[in-house]
Amino acid sequence: MTINEIQDQIINDLSSRDDLTEKYRYIVDLAKRLESPEDNLRSEENRIKGCQSNVWIRTDYNDNKIYLWGDSDSLIMKGMLALLIRVFNNQSPQNIVNADLYFIYKTGLNVNLSPASADGLIAIINHIKKSVEQVMKN
Amino acid sequence: MQEQILRIATNELSNQLENPDIRLIDVRPVDAYNGWILRNEHRGGHIKGARNVSAKWMNYIEWIEIVESKEITPEKKLIVYGYDEEETERVARQFMKAGFPEVSVYHRFVDEWSKKENLPIEHLPNYGNLVPPVWLNDLLSNKQVQDYSNDKFVICHSHYQNRADYEKAHIPGAIDLDTNWLESTETWNRRSPEELKKVFEYLGITHDTTVILYGNFSHPTYDDPFPGSSAGQLGAFRCAFIMLYAGVKDVRVLNGGLQSWLDEGFKTTTEDGKKHPVTDFGAEIPSRPDFVVDLPEAKVILQADDKNLVCMRSWREYIGEFSGYHYIEKKGRIPGAVFADCGSDAYHMENYRNLDHTNREYHEIENKWRDLGITPDKHNAFYCGTGWRGSEAFFNAYLLGWERISVFDGGWFEWSTDEKNPYETGIPEHIQ
Repeated sequence: MTINEIQDQIINDLSSRDDLTEKYRYIVDLAKRLESPEDNLRSEENRIKGCQSNVWIRTDYNDNKIYLWGDSDSLIMKGMLALLIRVFNNQSPQNIVNADLYFIYKTGLNVNLSPASADGLIAIINHIKKSVEQVMKN
Repeated sequence: MQEQILRIATNELSNQLENPDIRLIDVRPVDAYNGWILRNEHRGGHIKGARNVSAKWMNYIEWIEIVESKEITPEKKLIVYGYDEEETERVARQFMKAGFPEVSVYHRFVDEWSKKENLPIEHLPNYGNLVPPVWLNDLLSNKQVQDYSNDKFVICHSHYQNRADYEKAHIPGAIDLDTNWLESTETWNRRSPEELKKVFEYLGITHDTTVILYGNFSHPTYDDPFPGSSAGQLGAFRCAFIMLYAGVKDVRVLNGGLQSWLDEGFKTTTEDGKKHPVTDFGAEIPSRPDFVVDLPEAKVILQADDKNLVCMRSWREYIGEFSGYHYIEKKGRIPGAVFADCGSDAYHMENYRNLDHTNREYHEIENKWRDLGITPDKHNAFYCGTGWRGSEAFFNAYLLGWERISVFDGGWFEWSTDEKNPYETGIPEHIQ
């Protein structure tokens, strides 16, 4: 699936939930099902600086595809990671760097997240795009 | 599970107030909770013992995480009160939906509780120095406003070498204030009295001008070359502290900064606010030298039983994992300082803010500090890397009405510059 097809799927999933509580439960459920790598993800090297809660991301690259791992000690941020990982995994670095993440606006996450969590989400997206750019340079 | 929301009367609530199985929830805006009269209540503040879970936060998808962070759990019965019946019941239903088994509402706060002087109400002692956006909007509209009798005010949009942030959007009438005008760009300490005097006069600020400061939080990240440029509200607290030290008597900060102004739907402008320079600040600078501690006194504080040097840095700075700043090399902490954990890094104060950037409920700050031995009977000198986070903590203590408070201006930057000063790294034994 393309990045936009996955985004459209997320928009459908979230818009079918009636209210914020249901949307929150959906996101938290994704967070709880987020896979962890076998080795320790929670290292200093993987930590994102500037997030309101602890967030760790690792970027793997193989066969022109990106694979992201993520974790957080905040459920909402882990849920945001789960959404972004769903959108970006198995995509090419070029597609990720150029992606327009319209699902954030179309699902209302940009206004339904608190300003502090929205800040964290932006930090995560910036971190992912920068780390993918780094992969492209290498 | 409870289906109907129970309503309770004033005498019932009064009788239940000391019941440890009851948790009272105030859903009014944080500023009403702090003490501002926003709906003609007879007395400002909140019912004694109430916790603040503003109804505004129901707009956030992670509302339940806010509730959990306040340690409000379903084991206790909740009594929810607010200004508006419909809004109060909406929050009460949200609690029920989240699994709180017993939730009641109290609807007589304004017309009964606030009018009966024998019923206890509490407020943030110096709430007047932390202003709500509606107050500022009324002031700008020449309306009569609470807790203000002055005839001159200046509104400052604080930023760190980022005038573009001001130019993009600011509160009508606000002038821009670069923190570099008040701080040395070499030491990051306050500027000299002569320099401060010139800046204040240029800005049109005298010692008896009411100054209202705010900033814009625009997603600072450590990867930015100048993360402080995006941490405007933190810069506003820094400027507020320096103004208080200098001698401006009435310094106020907009609670939540530009975010709260926008949340209220008030307009911003790109048109420059006009500065009205004055010829004399009108008081000796500094008028409150006791608000600042420099390196020699910081060392004395570390040795005293009735004084705290309070570290407002993040955990990773405290244990020496990283310095916190692009321009500070040395990692570690000052031995003997009390760690009061700002949040994630040098440009965030999450542990002292609500998720909408308003100041955290003051009882929570007081309790956190009390557990750490940071109490008003002691002299508490707050510091961080270069003074911003220390200034925000100082301002919180100022709002609490604490009298023996200071900022250790040099902070870790100055301390770590002198190799003779001791430092520690790793997790200290008393925390392990």
